[in-house]
This record gives sequence, C-alpha cells and structure tokens, in this order.
Amino acid sequence: MPPEHIKSASATEKHHNPYIFAGLLIAGIAVVCVLFNILTGGRFLEGTNLAVIVSHTVYPTFIAWGLCFLFACGYTDLSVGGILVLGSFASCILGNWLGYPGVVLGGLVAGTLLIFLNFNVFAFTKIPSWIAGISLAMIYEAVAVFLKVGEKTEPLVNAELNREYRLLGQLPWSVVLLAVGLVAAYFIYNKTTVGLNIRALGGNREVAKALGINIVKTLLWVGLICGIFIGIASFIQQSYAGRTTVKTGLTSMFVVFQPLAIVLLAQILQKRINIIVAVPICAFIIYAIFNLLTILRVPSGTIQEAVLGAFLIVFGIFGQRNVKGVVK
Amino acid sequence: MNNNEILLEVSGLNKYFGPTHANKNIDFCLRRGEIRGLIGENGSGKSTLISQIAGLFPRDSGTMQLNGRDYSPHSALDANKNRISMVMQELGVIGSLPAGVNIFLGRTGQFTKNGIVSLKRMNKAASELFEKWGLPKVPLAKLTDGMMIETRKMVELARALSVDPEILLLDEITQSLSMNNRQMLYGLINRLKEMGRSVIVITHDVEELIAITDTITVLRDGAVVGNVVSAETTPDDIKRMMVGREISGEYYRADMKPDYGEKVVLSVQNLTVAGEITDVSFDVHEGEILGFCGLSDSGIHSVGKAVYGLSKLSGGSVHLNTAGVTIKSPMQALRSNMAYVPKDRDNEALMIHASILENFCLPSLTELQGPVGYLSPRKLRKLAADMTKKLSVKCTDIYQPMDALSGGNKQKVNLGRWLCKDIKLLVLDCPTRGVDVGVKAYIYALMKEAKKNGIATILISDELTEVLGMADRLLVMKGGRITREIRRDEDFTEQSVIGVMI
Repeated sequence: MPPEHIKSASATEKHHNPYIFAGLLIAGIAVVCVLFNILTGGRFLEGTNLAVIVSHTVYPTFIAWGLCFLFACGYTDLSVGGILVLGSFASCILGNWLGYPGVVLGGLVAGTLLIFLNFNVFAFTKIPSWIAGISLAMIYEAVAVFLKVGEKTEPLVNAELNREYRLLGQLPWSVVLLAVGLVAAYFIYNKTTVGLNIRALGGNREVAKALGINIVKTLLWVGLICGIFIGIASFIQQSYAGRTTVKTGLTSMFVVFQPLAIVLLAQILQKRINIIVAVPICAFIIYAIFNLLTILRVPSGTIQEAVLGAFLIVFGIFGQRNVKGVVK
Repeated sequence: MNNNEILLEVSGLNKYFGPTHANKNIDFCLRRGEIRGLIGENGSGKSTLISQIAGLFPRDSGTMQLNGRDYSPHSALDANKNRISMVMQELGVIGSLPAGVNIFLGRTGQFTKNGIVSLKRMNKAASELFEKWGLPKVPLAKLTDGMMIETRKMVELARALSVDPEILLLDEITQSLSMNNRQMLYGLINRLKEMGRSVIVITHDVEELIAITDTITVLRDGAVVGNVVSAETTPDDIKRMMVGREISGEYYRADMKPDYGEKVVLSVQNLTVAGEITDVSFDVHEGEILGFCGLSDSGIHSVGKAVYGLSKLSGGSVHLNTAGVTIKSPMQALRSNMAYVPKDRDNEALMIHASILENFCLPSLTELQGPVGYLSPRKLRKLAADMTKKLSVKCTDIYQPMDALSGGNKQKVNLGRWLCKDIKLLVLDCPTRGVDVGVKAYIYALMKEAKKNGIATILISDELTEVLGMADRLLVMKGGRITREIRRDEDFTEQSVIGVMI
C-alpha cells in the first residue's frame, strides 16, 4: 500500500457520472419535446410526426458515426459527400437490377471501397487529407454524373430506386439498422484494439508510434470502418429518399453539413457522455428542431439553417462551461 | 542472483541525425541490480542513447547485447518483449484515452476476447499494478487530458512497470514530480534493485543522481567522458566532467538574510480557487524572491496561475500596486508588466512549432508596434537576435522552430522573452525543470539580476533546494492553504520545511 501522503496524485481532479448525465439529457429532451408540442398545438408529439423525425435521423447518424472514426484519427475527408452520392447511385443501379442484395451491396461496397481508397491515398502519399479529399470529391462527383448519363455534359442528374426495394429506409427496419449500428460503432470505438489505436493515433501520433502502433495499418482500418458506415448510410439514404441528385462543382460537400453538425454537437457532449451514444441523441435534437421549424412554417434553406447555426453556438457555449483553455 | 552479471552491454554505438553526430562510439555496461545515472548537458546525447536501448529508433552502428545475446529492438514493443521499458522525458500519454487504456496501449491483446477489449479487466490489471508497485492512485477510467503533469507521469511510470522490466529507463522524470512522489520513486528504484532489476536514470539534479545511483556515466557532446562510482564522487566533479570546465557549487545565493525593498509590489488577499487553493494571502516586495513549496496537492502551482489571472477566482483579490490595478485576466497582467513562466513549458508557455523570433517577440508586440499597428520586421529581428546572443541560445538562427531546441535552450527563450521587457513582477513555476546545471546556473544568475533591478519574483518550485537557495521568504503550503512562512534568516532548512509540508 502506498503511504498515506501519496495516496492520490489527483485529489483535485473532478469526476462525472455519465449515466446521470445521460439521464438528465434525455429528461431535458423530453421536457423540450413537450414544449415543442405546446408550441405546435399538439402536432409535434403525434406518432406520425415522431416517426418522420426518427426516420429522418437514421442515415445522417450513420454518416456521423463514420465521421467520428475519421476525426478520431485526426484526419478530415471532404469527399465523404461525393462517396455517399456514388454509394447511393450504386445502391440504386444494383438494387433495380438485383433487388435487395443489390441495394445493400451497392452502397456497402462502393462506400467501403472508396473511403478505403481515400485512406490509402492519405497514408501513402502524405498529402494533407483535406486537400486530397477535395480533389477526390471532384473526381467522385464527375464519376457519379458520368455513370448516370454516360456523357460529360449534364451537370445535374438523379437516380431513382424502384419503390419495392425501399424498405430499409422505412420504419421499423431503419430503426433496427440504427440499433445494430449503435452497438457495432460503440464496440468498435470503445472496446476493440483497433478503436483504441485509432483514438491513440488522433491523440498523439508520435506517442502512438512509440507504443508500437502501426500507423499505416491503423489508417487503413479507419478507411475500412468509416467506409462501412458511409456505405450503410448511402443505401439507407437511397431507400429513404428513393432518389439521389448530384451536381458537379463540389455540391456533394453540402450533403455532410448536417451530419457534421451532429458530430460537432456530440463532441461538445463527449466530455460527459460517450460520443458514439451522443451521436443519435444529437441527430434527434437537430432533426426535431428542423421539424418544429417546418411545422411552424419557417422557411427551409435559409432561416432554418440560421436557427440551426445559432442553436449550435448556444449549445456549444453551455457545453464548454468550465472548460479551461481554448477549444479548437 | 549474481550482481556482477552483465545484463546489457553497448559497444561502439553511433547515432546520427542528419549532420549531427548524437552518439559517438558509446561503450556502456549495465550490471544486474545496478542503478546507473546518466548525466550531461542538454543535447549531450543521453536521451538518444536510452531511446535506442528502448527501441524508439535504431542505432547506425555498434552492437548491443542483452543477457549475452544480440539485442536489436526494432520498436518499443520489441524492447518491452525483452523486458526493457522507458518513461520518456516529454509527456508520453494520449490525452484522448483513459489512463487505464494508456497503460496497456499497443498491448491490448491480452485483454481481448472475440475481438472485444475488456476495459474492466484492463482497469483491474492497471489498478493491481498501482497497488503492486505502491504508486499513487490515478482515476483509471478518466481521460488523461485534464490530468496534472505529475499524474500523467504516474500513468507513464505504471505503463513502464507493466512489462515487469528487467531494465527500467527513466528520462528526467523526477523534475516533474513533487517531493512526496520523488520519495516514492526513490523507494521504487531501491525495490527494483533489491529484486535484481537494473535502472538507468537521467536527471539534471546532480545531488539527487549521486544519492540514488550506484554508478554514473557522464556524457559530453555525444561521447562518454567518464564513468564514476556515485559514493566516491562529488557534485563539483560531475559538473566539471559535464561541461569541461569548473562550475562553482554555489550557484544559489550565498547570503542568508532577506534582502528586499519595503515597497509592496503585489498584494494578494484571501485568494480562493474552488478545489485548488483557499484563503491564500501574501505580499511580494520590490526586489524580493518569494518562494512557494509544498507536496503534490498543496496548490502551489495554482497560486501562480491565479495570480496571473488564469484561474476563475471563487474569492479574494490580486492587487498589483505598481500599476494600481486588480488583476482579473492574463491580458491585464501582461499590460501591467507582470510575467508568468508556467511549469508545463511546451504546452502552456511556448509556441512550440513557431520560430525563436516569434516566441521572443510575442510578449513585446505592443512595445514593438509602430503607427497603425505596423510591426517592423527589422525591429523583430533585432530583438530576437539580441536576446539570442545575450542568453547564448544554441540554435542555427532565429528562424529555427522551437521544437528543434533542447530543453535548456527552450527555457532560455521562455524566460528571456520576459526579461527583455520592463517587468515589475515575475511569476516562475519550476523554472529549471528539465534543464542542465549550466543553464540552471544561468537562470539563477538571471533571477539574481532581476532581483538587483528591483523586480519582485514569485518562485514556485518542486525542488526544495532551489527555493531554499534563492528565496528571501518561503511560504509552505498544504492542502491548498499557506501553513507557514519562513524567512531566510530564520529556520531556513530542508528539515524544518519538510516537517511543515507533510
């Protein structure tokens, strides 16, 4: 036993119980939902409306989980939107041809292969990932347009999945996928050697290397894991919306803005609650706000986005209370 | 157990970093149960040598033999498999991972079943490790990001011990520890020795090195200049070997009387920071060096931060009489001619990836700027070049990035950039952490010069000899409160201070 005077090296360091916080957060969300319900004259908490919100959160949640792994290793990939579009297209083309196996395989294979390819580019060329990501996004958008129209001239195209193959984007199947995704993401991020190595890489690359972690191998693992989540997101998105529209000119980057907002919100919460668990909660919060604004007939595309931005800032201010130093 | 048995033998080892010959034909022999000290000036090749033994980078030529067999570790993990582990000089933990995971990172396979790592088993093993080696407890499930330097060092030490090392390499770890944890470490080193394990210790504290080691190897400019038996040597002998010239043992103050002006420069009243310090009150006078010492949780480091306006106060005030202001923010402190040199040099003080020029000039931008805020490149260059020359900063030029400098030279820039300003109060938190005796002597000389110029200094230190050597008055803290004030002409001895600290 250590002597009494050296029993703790950190007596002044504070601890938080994540379960209590998660309980308080869910209770807080419930209260806010009741408030929203009052504001909307009882329409917000109607079963059909809640189903719309939940359905809408599923694919952005998968994208956000993928981004969590991406950011955890310290990389930024701006081509995720382009890959999502290509994955959705592949899901649509193969789905219409092969049925459900095609829907799943199309998205999964395209998403996984392309993100894996990106990480090969990051790992072996050493080009800063955000620069390489922009270049790759331009290529993927062009490929998506080319695949659909077979020519180079159409700047805007869309692909539509047959109605009989859209079940995976509808309730309750999308929620089943969400639950499976949550368990998988949670375990990979928190309870596997690969997950811990990915976080170590983002935390301090040099220390991770000194501790014997294979940097290139870990990066390729990130590509694979992130790719699977983006791949799943792409076939859910295609199944949910039924169609994907793409334009060249880096427009695919807009696709990931809302998932980015989800990750940002989850990062604010992560000092109190695990980021993987925080992601679906934050997705629900964001889409609940959009839903409220829509019911209140606030114009989308302008004021709704401005409200979301303001909400993130206010939430961030509260979330960063008692944090010392600068948050980057 | 045969204590004469050679455990590790290094012969003709060479290491180059570009044009720098970092290790020159090193011959080195470590016996079973031996505690070996490594000492030399900053940049003498100590860390390079043990980093090669620890598998952090390969040697360019020469041989290493462990237990009589060829030893060529190609990674830290490989060295761990050979039961050699190291606690690194700079902080080696991943802030975004919990302490328990940090201990077994890279070796999580032993807790993995069906692809799932059991954090519960991992934390249990970590907890048993702390218990087994008598290390101070650390919240294992908590991220290391918010932890104090000392706590993070304990995590690193636990990680090194987790391989049950035959050879433990400690690179300047003691200077991050407060007195109580240093005592714990000394006990641990003795225990390893009794178990027939060997330890290589690097520290700049010559007296400490002589006290805790059996033998000492002195390095200079990358080469071994001598091996001595610790019991048969003196600090002055070691210093002479290190720098190749005579360095007086009396680099602290020689006088034993408080010597400062009557004018109060800073007045602190009932300073309270929740969970850190409570009702701390003191005055600092013109030309005074006021020392603070205490154990790890005593709150001494919080005083420095709070005085400089970096902490959120729960109560009390900090009044700088020379400027007639109550300090509430670092900006206000800076504008009122206060300076603060924090303990965590790389993370809290320096812009580590910026140049020497930028680091020297940053605190003086207001004084340097011309009309409409224009900063003349000529003025910036002149300030940086003058200070580099004055402080003898070893560098290629003023545009060299800070992270390329040795610890001692970084500290010269860290301290010197304040001394080129017209400051009235200097807050120094462990100013000689990680610097060699030569730089240490230089820093003390700078402090004496500052004192002569009427600058008031708050000296916070984990090294008791330092505060006893330099302070006019000493405030001993325990549990976030001041428990005793001792003047230089009173009972100013280690024994009396330790009696109050514990």
